[in-house]
Amino acid sequence: MNQNNPAPGAARAGGATVAETLATDSREVPAPLLDQSYQFLGDDDIDCSRYISADFARKEFDRLWNRCWQWVCREEHIPDVGDNYVYQIGPYSVIVVRSSADGIRAFINSCPHRATRILGGEGTGFSNAFTCPFHGWSFSLDGCLQALPARWDFPHVSEETHSLQPVQCETWGGFVFINLDTHAGPLADYLEVLPAHFSHFPLERRRVRLHVQKTLPANWKAAQEAFMEAYHNFETHDGPNGANAQYDIFGKYVSRFIHNIGNYSAESLADYPGDKWRAPPLSENEILQMLSVFGLEHDEVPAGKTAREVAAQDLRHKLGEALGIDFSATSDTLMLDSIEYHLFPNMFFFPGITVSMVYRFRPNGEDVDSSLFDFLILEPLAEGAQHPQPPEPVCLSVEQSYTEAEGLGWLGPVYDEDTGNLALQQQGFKTARKPGITLGNYQESRIRRVHMTLDEFLEEAGNE
Amino acid sequence: MSNDEFVQVASLANLPQGRCAAVAVADREILLCHTADGVFALDNLCTHGAARLCEGKLKGNRVLCPLHGAAFDVRDGSALSRPAVRGLASYRVKVTGDAIAIAVTD
Repeated sequence: MNQNNPAPGAARAGGATVAETLATDSREVPAPLLDQSYQFLGDDDIDCSRYISADFARKEFDRLWNRCWQWVCREEHIPDVGDNYVYQIGPYSVIVVRSSADGIRAFINSCPHRATRILGGEGTGFSNAFTCPFHGWSFSLDGCLQALPARWDFPHVSEETHSLQPVQCETWGGFVFINLDTHAGPLADYLEVLPAHFSHFPLERRRVRLHVQKTLPANWKAAQEAFMEAYHNFETHDGPNGANAQYDIFGKYVSRFIHNIGNYSAESLADYPGDKWRAPPLSENEILQMLSVFGLEHDEVPAGKTAREVAAQDLRHKLGEALGIDFSATSDTLMLDSIEYHLFPNMFFFPGITVSMVYRFRPNGEDVDSSLFDFLILEPLAEGAQHPQPPEPVCLSVEQSYTEAEGLGWLGPVYDEDTGNLALQQQGFKTARKPGITLGNYQESRIRRVHMTLDEFLEEAGNE
Repeated sequence: MSNDEFVQVASLANLPQGRCAAVAVADREILLCHTADGVFALDNLCTHGAARLCEGKLKGNRVLCPLHGAAFDVRDGSALSRPAVRGLASYRVKVTGDAIAIAVTD
């Protein structure tokens, strides 16, 4: 389709780029945020069947979810020996446990006797040992078979043959990750640039302020793709900025966008419908008013300043006092921007201070048409402070609004907008006569990267 | 309801939020749990294997049995997860100043 374009993917919106905005930051910008790493990945359509086919979902369970790294919980969910966390992914269930003071282990949540799930539900628990509720087979915290009622009837059973099946388990950034593939490579390789980049923004020094889990009426890929581009900002959020966001592809597993908050270029909206925000462009005072949701001290921009500078400074002061942290040297971009790293297949980490989220999208059981969206606010933790007990997740059904989640504040209506198109899109996949969806070469490149890596998983396993 | 029913069993100073402890009252062992929603009193023995819940763990409004990990809602004693299926008896609690009192009569 773009055969006549000499450099597909090279075009950008008019106006200041993210890099140009970061060059005007009032503080030193951490080096990773100055990296740019876009690559054109092709422009073929993505087949709609990938979002609605039960066969495709089955392949994903067999060849993706069975083989990729995924985070289960935070380390502070399981601080003491005996603390455990049950994690469900499609048909699979895994127990993560603090098995010793400095050891975290993971096991398949199924009794080696007659396969019963040992721990039900999902989330945190505690016990000194694992005991199957069916016949009472019992296992130590390191998975070893330790008690077997009517031992005389099982001469063919031993600790070697009937202990809990181990699952690979590693930690990074305060998160506990598992991989159901016993032959998987190390997590450190899978994380690509994340350890280097996040050495500037240590997520292990953050606390979970809020955890909201919502069921969404769309396939897990469609749901997460609504969060992988800022192109929707104009139409979905009625927002002026987003067209100038920067998109980076760092490898097979990691991508990023940087979406500036508190400024925009009227030129970037040159071919958007109507004159809104373009003629005349928003004044700095009007932009500051849009940022008032953050609870700023200023309601006007002093002469010679920008809304972005004023908002960043107000937030340094406000959040510094609230959290007991000195943000005086923290860049405007970290204070304000939506900086979103994606880790294949379904994880998002934000290094920002005000926009400080973590997302995880996954299938809702084995239903191809719905997904679970875990949303965590990870607040910076003051130096020397201990991690408090994380809050229990607030669970919202498909029908409920994010505004019902106490503590979300101004984000509630925003997430309602973000997820408000999903049911329509899932229905649209099924009614579409055109067999595939079309992606922008630049703004939607991260979505394409996920599908390419997904194909590698599905094809590699298929050749085994 | 008469105030005479209530027996002082502990002080808030010794039971900060997030903690649970067992107290002996009228031949029974009662578990006191202090959560963000208040102080609650329940039987201390798990309805499944009779393990002492004070040796388990309080997480939010759930108390977890140390033996098999059964969870109970401390606010009403209801069983939340197997292997326990029967709930715990729960008792009325009155906090006056620093004093925690419970009523164990039916």
